[in-house]
Parts: sequence; structure tokens; C-alpha cells
Amino acid sequence: MFSWLNIRIGWFLAVRQLRRASKWTTSLIVFVMVLTFLNLVVVSGILVGLIQGAVHAVQEKYLSDVIVSPLSDKDFIENSVNILALARSLPEVEAATPRFRKGIQIEANYKTRNEGDKANMAGAQLVGIDLASEKIITNLSENIIEGSFLESGDYDQVVLGHYLLKQYLPIESPAFTTLEDVHPGSKVRLRIGHAIREVTVKGILKTKVDEVSMSAFMLDAQVRGLIGRDIDNLSEIAIKLKKGADPVQVRDELLLRGMGEYAKIQTFEEGQPKFLKDMIKTFDLLGAGFSSIGLVVASITIFIVIFINALTRRKFIGILKGIGIDGHAIEISYIFQSIFYAVLGSVIGLVLVYAVLIPFFEAHPIDFPFSDGILVAPLNATLGRVALLVFTTLIAGYIPAWMIVRKNTLDSILGRE
Amino acid sequence: MADHIIEVKDLVKTYKVGEIVTPVLKGINMHVKRGEWIAIMGRSGAGKSTLMYQMSLLDDPTSGEVIINGRKTHTLLDKEKVRMRLYTFGYVFQDYALMPELTAIENIVLPLLMEKKSTAHAYKLAADALDKVGLGHRLHNLPSQLSGGEQQRVSIARAIAETPAILFADEPTANLDRESSRQIMDIFSDLHKEGQTIIMVTHEAEYGDLAGRIIVLDDGQIVEKGEGKRHK
Repeated sequence: MFSWLNIRIGWFLAVRQLRRASKWTTSLIVFVMVLTFLNLVVVSGILVGLIQGAVHAVQEKYLSDVIVSPLSDKDFIENSVNILALARSLPEVEAATPRFRKGIQIEANYKTRNEGDKANMAGAQLVGIDLASEKIITNLSENIIEGSFLESGDYDQVVLGHYLLKQYLPIESPAFTTLEDVHPGSKVRLRIGHAIREVTVKGILKTKVDEVSMSAFMLDAQVRGLIGRDIDNLSEIAIKLKKGADPVQVRDELLLRGMGEYAKIQTFEEGQPKFLKDMIKTFDLLGAGFSSIGLVVASITIFIVIFINALTRRKFIGILKGIGIDGHAIEISYIFQSIFYAVLGSVIGLVLVYAVLIPFFEAHPIDFPFSDGILVAPLNATLGRVALLVFTTLIAGYIPAWMIVRKNTLDSILGRE
Repeated sequence: MADHIIEVKDLVKTYKVGEIVTPVLKGINMHVKRGEWIAIMGRSGAGKSTLMYQMSLLDDPTSGEVIINGRKTHTLLDKEKVRMRLYTFGYVFQDYALMPELTAIENIVLPLLMEKKSTAHAYKLAADALDKVGLGHRLHNLPSQLSGGEQQRVSIARAIAETPAILFADEPTANLDRESSRQIMDIFSDLHKEGQTIIMVTHEAEYGDLAGRIIVLDDGQIVEKGEGKRHK
């Protein structure tokens, strides 16, 4: 079928049929192919991007590129100072930030409540941070929505994540309570084990990372004292790498230097929650499901277009066969036309996705409650979908052409059934 | 015998639609000599076009034989029939049968490319053929930009571009005005003078008379054979 001669004749016919076809019809078919391409790429891209946005947020506002955490049977990282110093000395590392972390209760209405009233308490993670390195890694100060962020020298000052406050998370649940009527300037009590500390709320920050939005932040020096740790007992170290650096390489470097004996060292990929990975897979699958419907619609569209085209030209197809043109060459001409529609639609779609939609969504992410949704369209996967679209269209174009071409030559010429 | 380019023996063609069997050709025997111009005539439904379709391998007979250049065609594979149509025959149809999206020259180039001619050679042959039918100035016009007579001349140019052994013409003037018809017949006369074998179906006696021999069909049988008047 695919002899060089048939391809040559098929190309000769296809080019001229396309060149002299109605521009409106061609535009409409290409438009359908563009929509199909967008359906293939954008639907799953948005679904995955929804979760990917959450993943990015976790990386940007919490875990960074490599995360060092306590071994599973320890409360803190041993030999923290050396690990931190080593991490900071690696050439691939831009910054490493130490954090102390402890589960606490925050009490709000202790000054105003009457005897017998229930205490307004919320569970939180108290996080002690190093301002300078934290700014490089998470820059939490940009997430302040009320009041202001911590500054060097702040003492008994706390910044609260917005999920701790009822005005931002108005839910009533016996298992989960929030603080009422707490604003910058309010006094709250921190209950750390049996110890109690009254502090002033300096600011409220809002992120789309639950771990951050349900935390209370103070300067590391004071937290260290409050939770009874020394400087060598960090809870975690988040490490941000220079652009292009490989997290696996940095992780391996730290492990190679024996740090795995004192702490769990993971890349961001390894450290992210499994449910996020599962969700990405699930959404990818869902997207593929939706996309396949689009693919079927596109196939049917091309089938109908080529079928009608071939049917209305049945007489000419018969004549071509009658004067000695190989039927396969005629079929190939329709295959070329189908490929043209699919490739042109895909090229326009690619330009739209990579030059317009992805930059747009990066600049204006979709504001979901738990993430800033972006459009995820890895080039390899997208090109795979282009190949799928072209192949499907090719088949959808070939079948009707074959159906018409195989009809009896004389019947086609005379228009007989 | 070797001078016969076509021999038709006991040719029968019947069409069957459901239970209804319609005999169209009822045992035709004839031959065509090389270089001969034959007009097949008869009233509508007599079987003229059907006979031509059998001889030109566009259709398969129910029984009987069509022998082309001494070769029995009923034993040919479909592929071989396609090759014979391409290399041995030229066709002129009643309604011109030009591809609407191909220009005049492209319509002629297409079968030449199928014959594995180089593009340049195909375009040269096509341009010569169009020149021969007086359309050397209309190479790049689409069929829709040509009159009926011009389209039929393009159709003839396509058929003769590679000098076929046999030129089949099915009612070539049926859709044309008198002047255009005359031009077409002049071309056929010139081709015949050059030795072209022509088998032409027509119901117009005036043009049938131009042929060297006339075969008249009626009810699927040859009822009369004779020379065209101008050849007497």
C-alpha cells in the first residue's frame, strides 16, 4: 500500500485538495482539532496542576528542595549543628534553615471567660525559625495578611497561621477548634506541655499549605528555650538549592558524609506526602479519561468530514481508479489530509498552550482553597498526546476513504449503489 | 488475427437486482483492428456503454471473453487490469470527468506520474497534449474556469498524453454545443489519421458517420455493422 509511487500520488492529490478546499471548511476542521488538542492537554493539565500547585506551595513555603528530619525513633535531629554547617557548605546549596518544632495548645479567651466557661483553645505547631535563612527559603513575610511579620529581637511575639483563627476558618467541629476574636495585638497563651507562656500576636499569615497555616511562628532562640532544646537538637532543616542543582546529588552528598546516621535526609519528591502523589496519579487518570472522550469526538469529526468528502467525490474517485490510479494512492491522499488537519490543529494548540496558557496560569493561578492551580503540560507528555491525536485522526481519515475507494469502480463512476 | 487489438467473443452481461435479472448484452461477437475508429451506436438502453465498459475493463462480463492484444482479460488480476487501463487505454467520458481541484495540466499530469514519469517529463507531456487539443494557453485553469468544450478537450488531452493503444470515448459530445462537438470530432479525426484506435459510443448519427466502422446495438445484440458514410 505505502509504495513510494502511491505516496507520491497521494501527496500530489492531497496538497491540491487542501490548497483548493473551502477555507471556511478547513478552518472549521482545524478549529475542532485545536479544541481536541486543548481538551487532551488542558483538562488533565489543569486537574494535575491543581494538585501540582499544592505540591509547589508545599515546596516553596515549607519543605524546600531537600528536607532533613529526625530519625523515626527520635524527637529531634542529632548533631544538627554539623549537618546544618555541612549543608550550608555545599556548593549546590543556596540556603539552609533550621527549625524547632513542638506541638502546643494556644488559648485565647483566658482573660475574659467566666468560671465554668470552656477555654477557647486550638492545637498548633509552634515553629521556631531563623529569620535570615527562612526569608531566603520560604519568605513567609510576604504571606502576612494582618499585622506584621517577626523581626530580629522580637520577644514573646507570635505570628499565627490563619487556619488557627475562626474568622478565617469558621468551622464548628468537636475535633477541631479555632481561636475566636484573635487579631494582631491580642494576647494568647501558649501551653507547651505543663509550661504556659503569654505572648502577643504580631501578625497573621495565610498560605495554601496546611502545615504552615496551622502553625505559630516565633524566633528560634525563644522557642528553643520554651521547648527545652539546645542548638544541636533541631526539629528540621529545610535546604534550598541553587537553580539547576540536583536534589538527589545533594541528598547523596549528605548521606555520603555520614549524616544519615543522625537524621532522615530526603529530597522534596521523597518527602512529600504519599496522598499527594496518589492524587496526582488519580487526577492524571481522570484527565486521560476526559481527554479520551475528546479524542473519540475528534475521531468521529474527522471520520464524518472525510466520509462526506469522499462520498461526494465518489464519482471522481471512481474515475481516478478508472483511468488507472491505484486506489491506495487515493486512500493515502485522505490520510495526508487527515494528518494535515491533526498536525495543524496540534501546532496551533501547542502555541496556545506553551505561549499563552501556561504563562497566563503561572501569572494568574486559579485560586483554589488548597492550591494555586497552574497548568501542567510536560513537553514529552504533550508530544505523546500529539502523536496520539495524529494517529487517531489518521485512522479516522483512512477508514472512510477505504470504504469509498473499495466500492466498484464503474458503480462509483455511474453513481450506482 | 494479430491485427485485432480487441476481440470480443460471446459477451454476455446481465445485471441482477434482487430477483430481477436484466440481460443487457446477449452474446456480442466483434473485433477491433489496430488503428480503427469504431462508433458504437444505438438507441438509449441498447447496451452501447455497457459494451464499452466491458471492452475497456471497467466492468466484468457475466460470460464470454474480451481479448486485448491477444491477451484474455478475464484471467487478469484486478491489479493487472488497473495497469492495463493506465498504460494501454485512454478514456474520454461524457461529463469530462476532470478532478475539480486540479488544473488542466495537473489533471493530465496525474496519470503520467502514476506511470512513474518524472515530474518534469510528465508536465512536458501534459503541456504538449494540451497544446495538441488547442488549449496550450489554458494550462493552469481549473475545470470550473473552462467551458464544457474546453473541459472535454482537457479530458481528451489526458487520454492521449501518453498515446494509448486504444482510446475509449463514451458519448464525448453529449453535453456539448454544436461548435464544441465539432471541435471534439475534429480532434478525433486528427487522432485517427495519426493511427489512433478509437472506440466511441455515440447516439448522434452525424458523428457516428465520421468513424470508419459503425456497430449498431439493439436490445443487447449487434443488429447492424457498416462503414461510416464519410468512409464509403
